[in-house]
Amino acid sequence: MNGQRIICSFSIVFLLLLPGCLSTDSILEEENVDQVIELDIWHSFAAESKEQASFESKIALFMASNPGVEVQISAIPYPEADQQFMIAAQGGEAPDLVRLSSDQLGKIGDIRVGGQPLLEDLRPHTTPIDRSNFDPRALNAMRYEGDLLGIPASQDCLSLLYNPILFDSAGIDYPDENWTLDDMLIAAKDLTSGDVNGLALPVKNAYWWFGFQAGFGGSLFDMNGTPTLDSNGSAEAMDWMLNLELNHSVVETGTQTESMKTQFLSSKAAMIVDGPWNWATYEAGRIPVQQALLPMVSETGERVAPLVTYKGWSVSKQSLNKEWATRLALFLSSSEVQKEFAIETYTMPTHVDLYQDSEITENIVISGFIGQLMEGTPAPTTRAMAMVYDPLVTAFENVYAGEMSSSEALSLADEALESDLEDLS
Amino acid sequence: MKKYLVIFALVIFCLPPMVEASEATQLEADGDAGYRKVGLNWLMNSPVEANTTLEIWMNESSFSDTIDATKHSMIRVGNVSGLQQPGFGEWYDDCSYEMGDGAYLPVYRDSYGVAVVPQGTIGVNCTLTGLPSGIEIHLAVLTIDADENSILSSSIASTSIVNDVETVVIETSPYIFAIGSIALSMIALLFVLRWMDNRDGRNTSRSAHFYIAPAILALSVLTFYPVLYGIWLSFTNADQSHLGEQSFIGLNNFLTVISTSGFFRVTVFTLVWSVVNVAAHIGFGLILAMALNSSELKGRSVYRTALLLPWAIPSYISVLVWRGLYEPAGALNDFLGTNLNLLADANGARIVVILVNIWLGIPFMMMSISGALQALPKDMYEAAEVDGIDAFSRFRFLTLPNLRSALIPLSLLGFIWTFNMFNVIYLMTDGGPNLDFDGPGSTDILITYVYDVAFRDGAYGVAAAWSVVIFLMLVAFSWTYMKKTNATEAVS
Repeated sequence: MNGQRIICSFSIVFLLLLPGCLSTDSILEEENVDQVIELDIWHSFAAESKEQASFESKIALFMASNPGVEVQISAIPYPEADQQFMIAAQGGEAPDLVRLSSDQLGKIGDIRVGGQPLLEDLRPHTTPIDRSNFDPRALNAMRYEGDLLGIPASQDCLSLLYNPILFDSAGIDYPDENWTLDDMLIAAKDLTSGDVNGLALPVKNAYWWFGFQAGFGGSLFDMNGTPTLDSNGSAEAMDWMLNLELNHSVVETGTQTESMKTQFLSSKAAMIVDGPWNWATYEAGRIPVQQALLPMVSETGERVAPLVTYKGWSVSKQSLNKEWATRLALFLSSSEVQKEFAIETYTMPTHVDLYQDSEITENIVISGFIGQLMEGTPAPTTRAMAMVYDPLVTAFENVYAGEMSSSEALSLADEALESDLEDLS
Repeated sequence: MKKYLVIFALVIFCLPPMVEASEATQLEADGDAGYRKVGLNWLMNSPVEANTTLEIWMNESSFSDTIDATKHSMIRVGNVSGLQQPGFGEWYDDCSYEMGDGAYLPVYRDSYGVAVVPQGTIGVNCTLTGLPSGIEIHLAVLTIDADENSILSSSIASTSIVNDVETVVIETSPYIFAIGSIALSMIALLFVLRWMDNRDGRNTSRSAHFYIAPAILALSVLTFYPVLYGIWLSFTNADQSHLGEQSFIGLNNFLTVISTSGFFRVTVFTLVWSVVNVAAHIGFGLILAMALNSSELKGRSVYRTALLLPWAIPSYISVLVWRGLYEPAGALNDFLGTNLNLLADANGARIVVILVNIWLGIPFMMMSISGALQALPKDMYEAAEVDGIDAFSRFRFLTLPNLRSALIPLSLLGFIWTFNMFNVIYLMTDGGPNLDFDGPGSTDILITYVYDVAFRDGAYGVAAAWSVVIFLMLVAFSWTYMKKTNATEAVS
């Protein structure tokens, strides 16, 4: 009996110690024996959305044309995609392929696990002809410190959407490309009546502010990449945005990204500053949505220039099937797939052929947004860009709460960002 | 005859000068240029003219026509003024040209990224990317002149022989080995204890150590090891930028914790949050438990079910519902006819998160106290009633002292749970509003701030130090509380 117990105890201990004693080579050898190529892919399309359905159909198409490949799909929330990927990679559980935004690459690009980066440099995996298919701005946005960390599959930015029925009932002319922010504010005031607000946008959200900052003459970074959050015009842009809610009351109190969507969907907002990703939802909600370029800023003569971000497919450095993962990334970014995505879901393409494609140019939604994209400012793919949001959130909260002026808050935000960057270096 | 000679001379004179078309020759390939790369070098048989295009084609077998092949890349020959000339390693791939002097310079790039070389180029050297690894590939150069005449060079075979950078494998074996070692130590300890029992003649509990072995093993692996590892991490510079390469840095992380601008504020709010919540949980829980315990109450089971609802609904759902109620467009403002934005105000948000957590925590305390109340002897109350003791005095001198043995451990557990309650604040406000540029948000408590430090800032070492500080605070509180209240005595 005693002997049995001892044997049992030592068996348990042996089983626990065994994996630690195994060499990693033997584990890899076992995996290579498997002939079926399994690829894990993480996407960040909204659940039950058209994008998700379209994406899944493309994956099925890829598997049908490559019978030896099995693709496992997982969904992750878009805002947490970078964080979830980093945590998974640090535990050795990274997927082969992940959908990331260009402004998230700066954060991941610096991370090392066991001395290795988390994402594969795709330059050796692509030919110049492969790369020439993409808008150079989009391709460049997927580069971090020289490495190509993703294949750009789409691009997007904010634009001005409006509900023409509410404009008609108020007897107000639709927005056009000559509109200024003053025109927009006057229209918003005229449209605000009862439970309808003239405009919907999250006034404390830095992503929305970037475009106005550029329009007022400010910039996030200078030519050397040094933060300039408090550059000329930045404070005016912040005040202009916050005053939409605090002073002019044309934006509903506390409007955030989800609630602005609800307001516009329920015809409680006549205009909304939103991206193409919600267009299909508005259409499904039978809102006769129209699009116009974001207005000009009278004081500077510049147009509001929203931040352009690119979303693409990145291959994990930990992938055991990098060549296949790259093939899938190129397939998901191919002209055919991008075109179908654009037409089905109003996702803006990055494939240069599609800029001239008649089905794209004749689609007023897509061509309208492409027009807005051309007015936008590409988000720099830097670590600083990934870190810019936190200090700006604090700056907005302080000004919104009346704790400090916008120039004071932005100056402190700039200092905080510079300090964070110094800590990193 | 002269006439023919004149005509022949005129024909020769009038014919355009015969220019030898450029053609790529002497192709050399190097399969050792890098993973999925092949170096390709070639010379032109004559300097290339402007508006010529050089295309590189590839195929898995030898080819003499581009119909059978795939275009890999192209180089334009033309005016390079005003074009960018990225240095080696700066572009997606490297390509260089030479003009006959043997000096290779990086090619220029047009606005679409296409390589451009100046007229007169005689040699080109490119590192071709995107080639399959370990498979023989045939490469050839197609020269297309300005008149669209093309000449395809003979193809050359090469194989990219460089393997992929060794796959990153997270080294987990030390951790598993450590866990195994802990387990082994625990088993050894059990055997020693068993031997000591035998030596001292304690034979009545011969199997006791064997019975508790699985629990000790599980505790070692699931609790002791992570706690010890967390403590070790707090003395290292572990962060997400170089996980696995951390080194010992002494007390630096603890200094960072103490010098955080909001350290005092977040600690005070955590204490306020815990004390107010536990007091309210026990206070309201006691009142409701006594009400439910009253023999005069009709429909007790209905009330009990209704009061248990907050506990029965998953907390993340009920918290999100509460957040919706408090938002500017939520039911609270609709009901009051106001336009309050409580969650955007620091004090408003603090009050709201405390109220929501009070609502969530009452059912547990109510049920626990209710159980304790039912265990109190009824004849004690009957005797008091016979003696004419009023209701408040019965509560003050009979109920409360008899509930002490239940209330003390309940309040201690409640304090520890509330101190580390993460989901209410995370889901209601995410710690905001954030008014401090370099510190915690207005509604952050220690545990929610640790989450930010660990998973948003990626500072694992500092987050571990915060966790150790929390652990020490709770140990100090629990020890003091048990000493002051004789809690262990009460339980025993």
